[in-house]
Amino acid sequence: MIGSLSFGAPLVLLGLVTLPAIWWLLKLTPPRPQTEAFPPLRILLEAMRPEETPARSPWWLTLLRLLLAALVILALAAPTLNPNAAILSGTGPLALIVDNGWASGRDWEARRDAAESLVRDAGAAGRPVSLAFTAEGASDDAAPVEAAAALDRIAAARPRPIPVDRTAAAARVRTALDGSSDIGIAYLSDGLDSTGANEALASLSALQPSEAAILRPPLAGTIGLAGADNSTEALVIKAVRPDGTAAETTDLKALDAQGREVGRTALAFAAGATSAEARFAIPVELRNDIARIELDGASTAAAVRLVDDSFRRRRVGLVSGEAADLAQPLLSPLYYITRALEPFADLVRADSADLGVAIPDLVKQRPSVIVLADIGVVPAAAETALRDFVEKGGMLVRFAGPRLAASTGEDPLVPVRLRSGERQLGGAMSWSEPQKIAPMAASSPFAGIAVPADITVSRQLLAEPSADLAARTWASLTDGTPLVTAEAVGAGTIVLFHVTAEATWSNLPISGAFVNMLRRIVTLSRSSGAGGGQTAADSLPPYRVLDGEGRLTTPGAEVEPLTVKAGAAPAVTLKNPPGLYGTEEGYSALNLLGPDAVLAPLPTPDFGVAASERGYGRSGETELTPWLYAAALGLFALDALALLWLNGAFSRIAARLRGRPRATAALLLALALAPSLIGDTGPARAQTNPPADMPTSDVPAAPPAALDPEAAIRATETTHLAYVETGVGTTDDIARQGLDGLSQYIAAKTALEPGAPVGVDIATDELAFYPILYWPVDPAAPMPSDAAISRVDAYMKQGGTVLFDLADGNLADLGGAGVSPGERRLRDILGDLDIPPLEPVPSDHVLTKAFYIMKDFPGRHTGSELWVESLGRDPDAANRPARAGDGVSSIMITSNDFASAWAVDRNGMFLYPTDNADPSQREYAYRAGVNIVMYVLTGNYKADQVHVPALLERLGQ
Amino acid sequence: MAPIGSIVELTAGSDALVRARQRAALLPDLLVEARRVVATVIAGWHGRRRRGAGENFWQFRPFVEGESVARIDWRRSARDDHVYLRDREWEAAQTVWLWADPSPSMLYQSTAASVSKESRALVLVLALADILSRSGERIGYPGVLEPISARNAAERIAAALMTNRPAGGLPPDERLKRFSEVVLVSDFLDPLDDILARIAALSRRGIRGHLVAIADPAEESFPYSGRTEFQDPETGQRLTAGRAETMREEYRRLYAARRATLGEHCRRIGWSFVEHRTDRLASEALVAVHARLSGTPQAQVKRA
Repeated sequence: MIGSLSFGAPLVLLGLVTLPAIWWLLKLTPPRPQTEAFPPLRILLEAMRPEETPARSPWWLTLLRLLLAALVILALAAPTLNPNAAILSGTGPLALIVDNGWASGRDWEARRDAAESLVRDAGAAGRPVSLAFTAEGASDDAAPVEAAAALDRIAAARPRPIPVDRTAAAARVRTALDGSSDIGIAYLSDGLDSTGANEALASLSALQPSEAAILRPPLAGTIGLAGADNSTEALVIKAVRPDGTAAETTDLKALDAQGREVGRTALAFAAGATSAEARFAIPVELRNDIARIELDGASTAAAVRLVDDSFRRRRVGLVSGEAADLAQPLLSPLYYITRALEPFADLVRADSADLGVAIPDLVKQRPSVIVLADIGVVPAAAETALRDFVEKGGMLVRFAGPRLAASTGEDPLVPVRLRSGERQLGGAMSWSEPQKIAPMAASSPFAGIAVPADITVSRQLLAEPSADLAARTWASLTDGTPLVTAEAVGAGTIVLFHVTAEATWSNLPISGAFVNMLRRIVTLSRSSGAGGGQTAADSLPPYRVLDGEGRLTTPGAEVEPLTVKAGAAPAVTLKNPPGLYGTEEGYSALNLLGPDAVLAPLPTPDFGVAASERGYGRSGETELTPWLYAAALGLFALDALALLWLNGAFSRIAARLRGRPRATAALLLALALAPSLIGDTGPARAQTNPPADMPTSDVPAAPPAALDPEAAIRATETTHLAYVETGVGTTDDIARQGLDGLSQYIAAKTALEPGAPVGVDIATDELAFYPILYWPVDPAAPMPSDAAISRVDAYMKQGGTVLFDLADGNLADLGGAGVSPGERRLRDILGDLDIPPLEPVPSDHVLTKAFYIMKDFPGRHTGSELWVESLGRDPDAANRPARAGDGVSSIMITSNDFASAWAVDRNGMFLYPTDNADPSQREYAYRAGVNIVMYVLTGNYKADQVHVPALLERLGQ
Repeated sequence: MAPIGSIVELTAGSDALVRARQRAALLPDLLVEARRVVATVIAGWHGRRRRGAGENFWQFRPFVEGESVARIDWRRSARDDHVYLRDREWEAAQTVWLWADPSPSMLYQSTAASVSKESRALVLVLALADILSRSGERIGYPGVLEPISARNAAERIAAALMTNRPAGGLPPDERLKRFSEVVLVSDFLDPLDDILARIAALSRRGIRGHLVAIADPAEESFPYSGRTEFQDPETGQRLTAGRAETMREEYRRLYAARRATLGEHCRRIGWSFVEHRTDRLASEALVAVHARLSGTPQAQVKRA
């Protein structure tokens, strides 16, 4: 329905005048052709027929573009359909009442905008404004002010996390506007009912307003969390809402103290229901971390439920002295304790009969309370564990019984000294009657627990009288003897019931008082070791308070300490907003809504005149700008498609699809695989991606894993010579080609047939697969990281050998003064390695005999010695033909550039000339490589081999 | 949308040489068929199955009065009462001129091809030079290298081209002698009459020629469609086609006709004509040219 149309910027419409010019330009400009170089143009010129080229755009393309331009111009003019008219039109003072209670947190911006627009209208009409906020205290002044001052106050106002007090606000307005006439009332409500709301608003009719308007927000989504109950199986949240018509589902989040999400569950209101329950079925350990529960996207104080220590479920460890506890459950003390505590706490039973094991195990599970039912002597280990547990704040609850009665000596884990043996009341041989329990003293932690009169105690353990016995008594019998005693030990408490936990000594365990007492003890265990009982009224300083949008903030100056009275829930006021009160160590939570809170929509108030009702925001108005832009965008896409079509892109794609179905399939496959390929773009690793000429290279590269089993198998199936990838391409190539050549030579000359050489990244690849690492030291390469060097160190310590090759041919003296860049780099690398003393290969070293008899180890150069780990001088070295340590030298250093001498190309041709043109140098270089590899692989075996003749001779062969 | 074809950089001589070597290694030594060997005494390695100047023994024959006494083979003559001469087999070399079209149109490379036409032509020429020089032929490159008989003729051509790359157009032919062979590798996109005139002139001088027509696949199949502006890289001439796909049939017909004309003309004057596309392997063309040079023409495989 098109009522009226207004433009935000009507002058922009003049831009429509330019449309003919645009039309003229568009008509002249044909679409831009694709430019192609094409040598046989002469042939094409012959093939060319004269027409073909449309010099002008087709008419429909021009029309499309004109429409596009027109839409953009119209959109720029900001048209609005059905613009809102002013709300109030009177001349007298305007009474503006704004709800800024908790329910306004959701849409405070809209409310403020509405208030500002009302005040501006009033200011334009010269009306004074009497402004009242319903959640402000008495300091809120409703005296009529100029519009500018009212705007300042509106800008400063914030939503409060407290219920509204409409009665007070209405009273302030009445007082301020008493005697004025032609009053206009505008009530910016939050849409929720409150106590006395109707009467308060109706009282405004005494002002005889001439007009009234009430603004309501939509109530959908206004949800308050009324309660959180931590039951045994799940954490149950009760939520209420005012509007019960439609079904509604939102998410509830449970957050821990750091704001991390612990759990998430759905809160579903059935259609027609105004309350709902949500259950967090998460484990107790996690539930205990919960610090706040909130609606997803919560923006009101009611949508947040704060949780304090009392909320947490305690864990109670149970230990019993009975051997077969479960055979006769009614005779088992743990049965009664279990029944009493199960709804409130998580019970953990000792899982071993051996107390020396069971109790420390139990303590390790970090219970809040440990209950020992009739246990006399505890083993030393258990006693230590229990004492430790108590001193760290745990609560130890003991029950008397025959065993405890028999071992009352100097038991350290009882609150009072006990007399040996129990006292029996009212037996066949006794004159005395079974005793009743005295009412709980007000100072006792059990204060307030009503004790039924029919509870009697027929047996009990007696305490030795002492001066502080009374102070340690929590409950006593009518004759004054203690029934429950307690003592603070360290940060914890030891509580002793002087009766058993089953019904043989008294019928206390089968009464409700027993449940209450145990529960009180469990509750006390939180504030572990605070000792004395709760005072009647406590004053808690504010710790963190909620603001109007459900965020926890530090309290402002106006927040006052919370006075907690036993039995009465404290009221939420401006001075005590919802939040956490107490200190960081322990606090209690004050929540906005009580467990029986009900939310209801605000009934239509009676102002004495007909009040117009409306919503916030620009309801009814329709901004056309986004739609126009969207239409222009659609036309733009059409235009692009048309251009593509004109340029023949579609026929080209179609031709390609027709001509190459396999290619298309490959393309589709590539598209399908693209994410996985993108995820796998790490640099190719040696052991996952062998060099191209490796025989096993048809195996596709596996994703780089920490240790890929397939790669490990591939690397260990055959022996591979390995080189360290320095990151410099040429150096790595030479190393690979060199090791390739050496591998071929070794395969040809010896029984060893190495696989293709492997480049390893010392930072990531597993090194243990390779017997030797050839490390071409290139000063141009990036310095390996400390972690990589330490991996190499570990590799060397585990028996690997690293052959450093400086490749510059002049390693004369490792300690020399003149240092080449390669040597400096080698020093940097070795600086972090644990290197034994080195020496040039002595003439009797096993390296000189490992396969070939060699004097020196030439490579491409001949200038350098081969340095190995120094061997201890053997006194009778002269008698031995070869020397070797017990292991293989973990390090060899040369600068003869072995790899270049070994390097062959794919066809087996040598790649680099040796220093000396004599081909024997290359041969000797290969022999040096064979000796090194043999030495590394066989260790000192070769050294032992030379003794074989002597051994055989000794054996008498 | 990326264009289908592009003009690429000139190929470096050394790069082409490496590739040419690889291709040439695949082919056996080329013995140019010596039907019309120049009668000049240029020693080559072709055994001509007749006596003449050469190194290899051919036959002993009795001394005839008037021949040079110095040629008597005394060792043979000592075995009986006659006097013998030692004849040698006549060995001669053929001069083969190689030429790759350097015009800018050769630099064209479409997305379907792996190399430009110029690169492929250069590779073919160098590979031929390598094979021919292995057989001891004299290799020349008109305007760049005088005929030489050297094992490393391919390197020499590559090196000479590095410093002196001729401009476009058919090669200067004043140095080409009778009975020599010329291998012309080009796209032959110049006006057909010019090409035919030049070929006819060469052929009239007794030169045997082999044309290798290099084509880019895009030039043959004309995969263009839609509104396209074509530009000639040689002349810079432009042509805008509204819907290029409508011209495809006509273009293909004209292109095939042009090729057929050229081939027919070559056949008439006894030259050979090899077509080659840059999306095929270079060795294919090399084998075909090799076959024609060595005088055993194979049935040319007609590609679909």
